[in-house]
Amino acid sequence: MKIPQQPLSQRILKYSLTTLIIIGSLWSAAGLEITLERILDAPRQIGILVGAMFPLDLSQEAFDRIIPKVFESLFIAWAGTVIGAIFSFPVSFLAAQNVALGMISRVTKQVLNAIRAFPELILAFVFLPITGLGPFTGTLAVGIHSIGTLGKLSSEVIEGIDEGPLEAIKSSGGSKLNELSFGVIPQVMPTITSYWLYRFEINLRASAVLGVVGAGGVGQELINQLRFRDFPRAGTVLICTIILVLTADTISAAIRNRIIKGKVVKS
Amino acid sequence: MINIPKKPAPTYLITLGIPAALLFTIFSFRRIGFNLQDFRDNLANRAIVTDPLFNPKWQWAWENTADALLETVQIAILASIVGCAVALPLAFYASRATNLNKYSYFLYKSFLNLVRTIPDLFWAMLFTVAVGIGPFAGVLALIMFSLAIMGKLLSETIDSIDPGPMEAAKATGSSHNQSVFTSALPQVLPNYTAYFLYIFELCIRASVILGLVGAGGVGRIIETQRIFLRFDRISPIIVIILVVVILIEQFSVWIRRRII
Repeated sequence: MKIPQQPLSQRILKYSLTTLIIIGSLWSAAGLEITLERILDAPRQIGILVGAMFPLDLSQEAFDRIIPKVFESLFIAWAGTVIGAIFSFPVSFLAAQNVALGMISRVTKQVLNAIRAFPELILAFVFLPITGLGPFTGTLAVGIHSIGTLGKLSSEVIEGIDEGPLEAIKSSGGSKLNELSFGVIPQVMPTITSYWLYRFEINLRASAVLGVVGAGGVGQELINQLRFRDFPRAGTVLICTIILVLTADTISAAIRNRIIKGKVVKS
Repeated sequence: MINIPKKPAPTYLITLGIPAALLFTIFSFRRIGFNLQDFRDNLANRAIVTDPLFNPKWQWAWENTADALLETVQIAILASIVGCAVALPLAFYASRATNLNKYSYFLYKSFLNLVRTIPDLFWAMLFTVAVGIGPFAGVLALIMFSLAIMGKLLSETIDSIDPGPMEAAKATGSSHNQSVFTSALPQVLPNYTAYFLYIFELCIRASVILGLVGAGGVGRIIETQRIFLRFDRISPIIVIILVVVILIEQFSVWIRRRII
């Protein structure tokens, strides 16, 4: 029996990629001085840390400190997402090729790419001396980064719309503004809203981290407890964060599902 | 007279959801302490940041960041390769199409979800405490990061594979594991490669900030300069990082186009 072989060019690509991956990982491991000894010892060390966290610090005082910080992260993420949504929405129309002029769309897209390139954490510590230590700085950083990402995603949604309704409005005498409000927005709104919620889920993780540079949120609490070697309390911070993120993820995912798939009709 | 169909009544999601979202927004903005007056006052201090930020010290950045930047790239390469390799079998266990045991499916799925809830920098903090400050902690943190993303993306892809080839393999007498190997795995391999390149890009971006908590890479240098507010040294570093990140992304996009 003759089994057909993969074409030669594909096989070459496959083998060269595999070699690249093996060489890349060996080169990296050597450069970072990661020895087999350290790898084998790591599980034991991680075990010690996890062991030190239990039993968790469940005192009233710990919760009084941690819970407000956890909620601060939630507020930063939500407010940042709202800032991102409000500003990215009009900008995304300017960035969409089928709505704006070619030049404007290209320039807006480049601006959005540039905004997106800066991680929240870097934005946060650049703003810090101006806006001060605290959640406002974090919100600003999360919001500005979200403008970049949401603007890009929303403009791609707008570019993917069905042109039929627009033609119908044009042929019945509608203006350019009518086209936008009756043709484009109803088509893109569900997807864009679900992107906003999706971004909120990502921002929640980002805002939890921002405390590392002092921009508010639960990250500050975790890094402090780890520095003071108060592992039971660090464990409590971690568990509280996990619960918040899981709850927010579940609610947000349920709403997104409902928006995209529509109402579940019971038959 | 034309019969225009009546607009459907708004659902609960709209009648309750939108006011609730608005209220929550107002509440959030109050709690984060947004104050326009303070903001204006503070904006007068912007020279502390903007003056040095736009006077970059290129010479200094070139001399001091090269090694750390290489370390960043190496962390990302190693972590994305190991993370994605570990995620490959996990994803098959976390998909209902290939894992027939309901309980172990639930266990693997929950594990991946749990790993995903912890942000990358939290992993980095935990690992720096566990295995000591340095790039090894960063590698471990990004392994968890890429493991979580790959696990989620790939297991959802496996959920939606064509069951036909697996049935065909079973009809010729192969065991369940054999049918997964010969029929499910080849179906998702192109996606797996594409996801790997995407995760590699994410890891490059994430590894830049790992150094802020002592987990190696170029963030280490940013952190020391940040504490002394040397924005004239930070801004060229950021620009160099951006250029490197964009170059690597272009390379990865080029490979992805060759594969798919």
